[in-house]
Amino acid sequence: MLGWTKGLAYTLKQLTRDKVTYDYPNEPIPLPDRFRGIQKFYPEKCIVCNQCVNICPTDCINLTGKKHPDPTKKGKIIDTYDINFELCILCDLCTEVCPTEAIIMTNNFELAEYSRDNLFKNLEWLDENDENIRKVNKP
Amino acid sequence: MIRTEEMLLNVGPQHPSTHGVFRLVLKIDGEIIVEAKPVIGYLHRGTEKLAENLQYTQIIPYTDRMDYVSAMTNNYVLVHAVETMMGVQIPERAEYLRVLAMELNRVASHLLWWGTFILDFGATSPLLYAFRDREMILNLLNELSGARLTFNYMRVGGVKWDAPEGWIEKVAEFVPYLREQLKGYHQLVSGNEIFLNRTKNIGIYTKEEAIQYSLSGPNLRSAGVKWDLRKDEPYSIYDRFDFNIVTRDEGDVLARYHVRMGEIVESLKIIEQAVQQFPKQGEIMAKVPKIIKAPKGEAFVRIEGSRGEIGCYISSDGKKEPYRLKFRRPSFYNLQILPKLLEGESISNLIAILGAVDIVLGEVDG
Repeated sequence: MLGWTKGLAYTLKQLTRDKVTYDYPNEPIPLPDRFRGIQKFYPEKCIVCNQCVNICPTDCINLTGKKHPDPTKKGKIIDTYDINFELCILCDLCTEVCPTEAIIMTNNFELAEYSRDNLFKNLEWLDENDENIRKVNKP
Repeated sequence: MIRTEEMLLNVGPQHPSTHGVFRLVLKIDGEIIVEAKPVIGYLHRGTEKLAENLQYTQIIPYTDRMDYVSAMTNNYVLVHAVETMMGVQIPERAEYLRVLAMELNRVASHLLWWGTFILDFGATSPLLYAFRDREMILNLLNELSGARLTFNYMRVGGVKWDAPEGWIEKVAEFVPYLREQLKGYHQLVSGNEIFLNRTKNIGIYTKEEAIQYSLSGPNLRSAGVKWDLRKDEPYSIYDRFDFNIVTRDEGDVLARYHVRMGEIVESLKIIEQAVQQFPKQGEIMAKVPKIIKAPKGEAFVRIEGSRGEIGCYISSDGKKEPYRLKFRRPSFYNLQILPKLLEGESISNLIAILGAVDIVLGEVDG
């Protein structure tokens, strides 16, 4: 008959418990090192092997390379590198296949923009995204 | 002169109680439902068709987005199917990590169901308690895989990450904590008269009907069928754990509530045993080629997901992409019984019956 009083007793007991919420956005949310946020790109490490482009399940990465400016050195260096964050699902596969760890996940996740065009991030933007970078990238 | 006529009532697709984009077209006579017609497909993304142009590793993030409330089991069914075709032996440690992740995810999924199901009746506080405890599981899984819902954690041959330092201990601490909280949940809801009045003896189906409609998971077990693939057709390492299959004979909404609550307890038992047996060292990935190619042929595997039996059928012609991929998505099959259950019911019972079926629209639409 008085089942609801039992429920009320439980609710009242919870009043003394610690707060579990965060004052976001005034305070940052603590995130684990492995958290998959927006990628950081190191142009100097990239060897233009195209593996990230091939593994991307949504085809959101575009890159072009150019010849090494130093004629004594072989291979290519990166020219342009774009990620379209309208498509990117932050699945972590690009960082998993990268042999030189030129692309690494960070803990930054705030991607909201006023225009869809702004979600198109280029090499410079991804290079400057250098806060909260994942420390251990490969298991 | 009084003239009565049937009325057409549209529920959804943006109605909060449909838990997604699900539409119901009801023909009502006063407050009694004469006919109910579910309309689905608003969230259809063509996962199975897309998969035909993707490598097996690339399909894993897509499976996360089917049943996004328990993505680990979806991850597992795909890699399990590919591993069955390739005949890969999975390292011990990876198997334990998989089972821990899947069972934690099952508990999280049932907690979310518990909170939102009671929210549908108008009780707001249980939702907050359920989400508070579910959040702890999501944090654990976030530490493990790097995401809160779309984990993309399993790989063909093992798992992506090893358990971080201290993670197993945190899981071990969580089990008694949730057991304690479950007592509170029962105190809060299970004995409440309003709740009992709204769930008891409504939405009843028999054992035979449940099998005819190919229901699975808690929906099947609430009608008294003792069938759980973890016991009856053990996959992974489930044969090493001691747990029970929770069943009820009533087949009503309340029975489905008790089955799910009981399953949380059983999952906690599995987690506890997996933590105790967890190997101290070992590999997390089997030796598999870098580019995975399933041999020519076909395979079908099924596992016990949070909502029922998830199946995965792969037909391969030996390339790195599947020739055809098909998922048996339990929510889709469980939903088929809804028009039958709603016929002749009062409109006030609609939300309780729909809620108890526990659908996730990402999975229904595929």
